[in-house]
Amino acid sequence: MGKKSPEAAGRRRRMMYRALALMLAAVLLLPLVPYAVAYVGGITNPNPGADLWRQVRQRETPPEVRTQVRGVDTGVLINARGESWRQFRMEQLIPWSGWFLGGMLVAIALFYLLRGRIRIDKGRSGILVQRFTVNQRLAHWFMAVVFTILGLTGLVLLYGRFVLIPLLGPEGFSVTAAACKEIHNLFGPIFPLAVLLILFYFVRGNGFRGVDFKWLAKGGGLLGGHASAGHFNMGQKLWFWGTLLFGLSLVVSGLILDFPVFGQGRPVMEWAHFSHGIAAVLFIGGAFAHSYIGTLGMEGALEAMTHGTVDANWAKEHHDLWYAQMEAEGKVGAVPGQEAPASSGSPETAGG
Amino acid sequence: MARMKFLCDAERCIECNGCVTACKNEHEVPWGVNRRRVVTINDGEPGERSMSVACMHCSDAPCAAVCPVDCFYTTEDGVVLHDKDICIGCGYCFYACPFGAPQFPTAGAYGSRGAMDKCTFCGGGPEPDGSAEEFKKYGRNRLSEGRLPLCAEMCSTKALLAGDGDKVSDIFRERVTYRGIGTLAWGWGVAYGKGGVRQSSGLGGKASSTKE
Repeated sequence: MGKKSPEAAGRRRRMMYRALALMLAAVLLLPLVPYAVAYVGGITNPNPGADLWRQVRQRETPPEVRTQVRGVDTGVLINARGESWRQFRMEQLIPWSGWFLGGMLVAIALFYLLRGRIRIDKGRSGILVQRFTVNQRLAHWFMAVVFTILGLTGLVLLYGRFVLIPLLGPEGFSVTAAACKEIHNLFGPIFPLAVLLILFYFVRGNGFRGVDFKWLAKGGGLLGGHASAGHFNMGQKLWFWGTLLFGLSLVVSGLILDFPVFGQGRPVMEWAHFSHGIAAVLFIGGAFAHSYIGTLGMEGALEAMTHGTVDANWAKEHHDLWYAQMEAEGKVGAVPGQEAPASSGSPETAGG
Repeated sequence: MARMKFLCDAERCIECNGCVTACKNEHEVPWGVNRRRVVTINDGEPGERSMSVACMHCSDAPCAAVCPVDCFYTTEDGVVLHDKDICIGCGYCFYACPFGAPQFPTAGAYGSRGAMDKCTFCGGGPEPDGSAEEFKKYGRNRLSEGRLPLCAEMCSTKALLAGDGDKVSDIFRERVTYRGIGTLAWGWGVAYGKGGVRQSSGLGGKASSTKE
């Protein structure tokens, strides 16, 4: 050929660019063709090995399995839930509940340091008001004893490996843990009775009223100021309903865990352990606060559950609406079996 | 040191339960406890496969991780064992185990569990090797006698392999290459005949030269 014209050179360059672009597009798009075909639904490529393994893992639908060994879950080849249960217990339940319960104790200690013991502002009047009947107190202390036994043995089983093995050694802790397991399993079936007694003796007066939400908005007067309340304040009502809610959860899951003889499989047991652990930890955390405010945290509160009576001034300061009602009914100072002391009576004889 | 492993070749297991019987007899396992079981998938249908399952002696054993009294230990052969004197029979290892290996004899009130029992890879327990107490609690300690688990030794089709992980995987790899097309293999000739599925399917290539 002769001399190349500039037009021809330009055309060749353009063609080269187009060819390069086409090749680039082909390189990028061609590998996608099988995906496109598969997406449209053309290719079925059975892999018996993969199918078998999928069935073995039993991730979704359990396959038809048969085994000559009789027992719980013997037909399950791989229990895929076990690993998530392990992670829940070891990486969530144990560390998080440790922080929660430890945090509760620290918060209560801080509250004690900052606020101190909540005193009866006007001092004891010496006039008593009947607050709880004998049966109510028996129900309360029955629950308290069973709860403490179950709570302590449960905490030993939850944290003992990390806290007690370094102290007692493996053999010593094994004996402790075996005893705690037996005690926990033997006292467990009594717990439903305690929950029922609490329900029966304390359900009256625990319905929510408008004044309770005002009490809640004022923070219960914990940080100062006065919050009106009836026989039970909002905190006590929440504690009562919490006891029933956590109690029900603990009873149902506990009975499932306690009697492994009805053929309940691992998924059921793992769910029972899941709800048992969470409910127990929240319940124990609440019990810390309840025990503190009922004893060390507030002057004149414990005697309501020991002697069944409270001082009139305590009642006016913490349960004013209830006191007004008792006064209207003429029940102030009328404590069965006890002489109402004069208003100048010594405080020590009135309280526990 | 060897790293002990079980491997069950699903192409070979014929669901004879010989391993289960061998284990029960060798260790005099109590009633209601089976350290090993055979599970069959799609029984009676094409593609039926059986597998013998027991404790697989995990590297990161979930049972040991969740045990509240920390009674598990791993031997230098990689065998996961436990101390029945420490075990409190809580059952947590059974919930965590992927293979359903831990077993619990019924003992005590409400049918509560006794100390856990599981496959020991014929490796006994913490008691002195070959002692009477060890046999009573954990069964025979064949490893200390230089022998491998009886279930694998008794397996009539050599589906169940037990031993050093390297050797077991060498044997299995050889089988896989010899069989050629994996789980599509079917029948006696494929499993035991010369040439196997490669010849019958007209495939080229050289089958493994060493015969089993």
